[in-house]
Amino acid sequence: MSGAHDIADFVVIGSGAGGATAALVLAEAGHDVIVLEEGPDVTAADRGLGPTEAFTRLFRDRGAQVAMGRSVIPVLQGRCVGGTTVVNGAIVWRLPEDAHARCFGAADAQDTYPMRELERCFDRIERDLSVARVPERLLGGNGRLMRDGAAKLGWRGHAIRRNVVDCQGSARCLEACPTQRKQSMDVTYLPRATKLGARIVSSREVRTIEVRGDRAVAALGRDVLGNSFRVEARRGVVLAASAIQSPCILQRSGLGGREHVGAHFTAHPATAVMGVYPDDVRIWEGATQSYEVDHFRGEGFKMETASLPLELAGVRVPGLGADFRNAMADYPRMAVWGVQVRAEAEGTVASAGRETRITYTPTVRDMERFRRGVRELAKMHFAAGATRVLPGVHGGPVVIASVDDVAKLEDISIDPRAYTLIASHLFGTCRMSNEAHDGVVDLNLAVHGVRGLWVVDASVFPTTLGVNPQHTIMAVAMIAAERIGESAPRA
Amino acid sequence: MIVIGLGEGAQRRLAVLLGDMFGEDERVSADVASFLDAYLRRAPLVPAVGLRVAIGAMIWLPIAFIGRPAPAHLLDEATRRRYLEAWAGSRVYWIREAFYLVKAIALMGWGAHDVVRTRIGLPPVAAERSAA
Repeated sequence: MSGAHDIADFVVIGSGAGGATAALVLAEAGHDVIVLEEGPDVTAADRGLGPTEAFTRLFRDRGAQVAMGRSVIPVLQGRCVGGTTVVNGAIVWRLPEDAHARCFGAADAQDTYPMRELERCFDRIERDLSVARVPERLLGGNGRLMRDGAAKLGWRGHAIRRNVVDCQGSARCLEACPTQRKQSMDVTYLPRATKLGARIVSSREVRTIEVRGDRAVAALGRDVLGNSFRVEARRGVVLAASAIQSPCILQRSGLGGREHVGAHFTAHPATAVMGVYPDDVRIWEGATQSYEVDHFRGEGFKMETASLPLELAGVRVPGLGADFRNAMADYPRMAVWGVQVRAEAEGTVASAGRETRITYTPTVRDMERFRRGVRELAKMHFAAGATRVLPGVHGGPVVIASVDDVAKLEDISIDPRAYTLIASHLFGTCRMSNEAHDGVVDLNLAVHGVRGLWVVDASVFPTTLGVNPQHTIMAVAMIAAERIGESAPRA
Repeated sequence: MIVIGLGEGAQRRLAVLLGDMFGEDERVSADVASFLDAYLRRAPLVPAVGLRVAIGAMIWLPIAFIGRPAPAHLLDEATRRRYLEAWAGSRVYWIREAFYLVKAIALMGWGAHDVVRTRIGLPPVAAERSAA
């Protein structure tokens, strides 16, 4: 699209898991589709450049987006063609039945999104994205140690299923795969949609949606140079800008009601615990995230390996000067494991001029899960042979030197300010509901009270999922887009 | 457009503290200070302001933390260490976080530095293009 104005059957806002899937399904159904992406294209020259360049080029707010509450929690999101799928760990989780019942049951939507329909979409997505378990050779030292530790403790765990073809094990998923093996949306669904005639337009920030009468008719915004644009939708606008940006666009447009748009912001916050081993772990080799322990999923938390690059691993390593330098000399022998909590806390997202304000504070129960998770991770590190563990909780023991000392972690603080948390799975800010007074979109993901406007991203989920969400986002977007393509009103 | 950065003087003063933080020599510390300047110039305004204020506070506030009326870079090494420990271990969350904010961003420059990566035995920060 070269001009400031254009027209299509459907305007899709956002090119991540939800937007790309919706665009492909609509294009396959023969519709004329334009995808508007706020971020830039991802070129070969942008890939695998290290964390600083990745944050600067590919992440929202250059990696500096945070949620404010009792503590400051970084909120990581991709902002590029392909969205967060370009910079995530490529983890694919089929939604378990208990999570389906909990999440969709909360909106009485189990029959609208039945497991068999989701399974049909999961099957297709897994074929399309070549989903497979991490093979032994790519577990890396980090994954093998977690596997060994879990096995010794009798905990359930498994190699992670990922959307990667012939992974080279460079542990650089978060920097955009340098060899383009990760099957992110920019190398899969978006090119496929393009072949079917869809137009993907990068560096176009949608600010508002224009409504005429009760019908959404166009997306309005500006490009990187500040020039305004208007893209008209003959049949509808599909909003898939994430649980942060979708509610902001609706708020600026005065759509979706005041009570629920941007409310009910939920997430899976996470923290990491490092273990130091006698032999090399070489965390920079293997799949970025290769092994997980879901033994405690029923209790609200899950553990994963995380190949933290040197630049990020040092943040909570204690000590100054030579002490710090000596501690970081152990980096080749460090394993880094995270605990991700299915948090109950609800925050808010609001558009405030040029900024986005996110508020979020984990509840006491969430923090109790973190305390438990940190303790169990420490235990697993020692079971795997660690000589010492760095729990990274302020006010608690800086270093734990034996499994007998893990008990010291039973009394560590549950104040969020004592932990280094990040949030990367974000939900709920345009939640689905049967009734307009209880949510933002109906069960077919159409915005209540507006014709020709849908939301198809993680913002529609009424609760957290408790598992990595990309797969479910894509499956729900697929089902919704099929229905949208069949039912959307002609202009 | 407002651009925030670190002047040469600020970089020089900060480099002294970075040397104390990471235990690196003057050259590496100066490079990390230069990295912070470049980072600030590219960062969104609000985070850049926060980081710049934190850096300024760390340089100029020994009087508030340890009662010494001098900028941090002019203190002797042992006193500077005591001063930085006061930041890192503060009971006040926002002070502690300010320290970790500076440390976290500085680590991006530190961890990408060739000298550091070679010493630890890591490959270069950017993936080799031949692997692509």
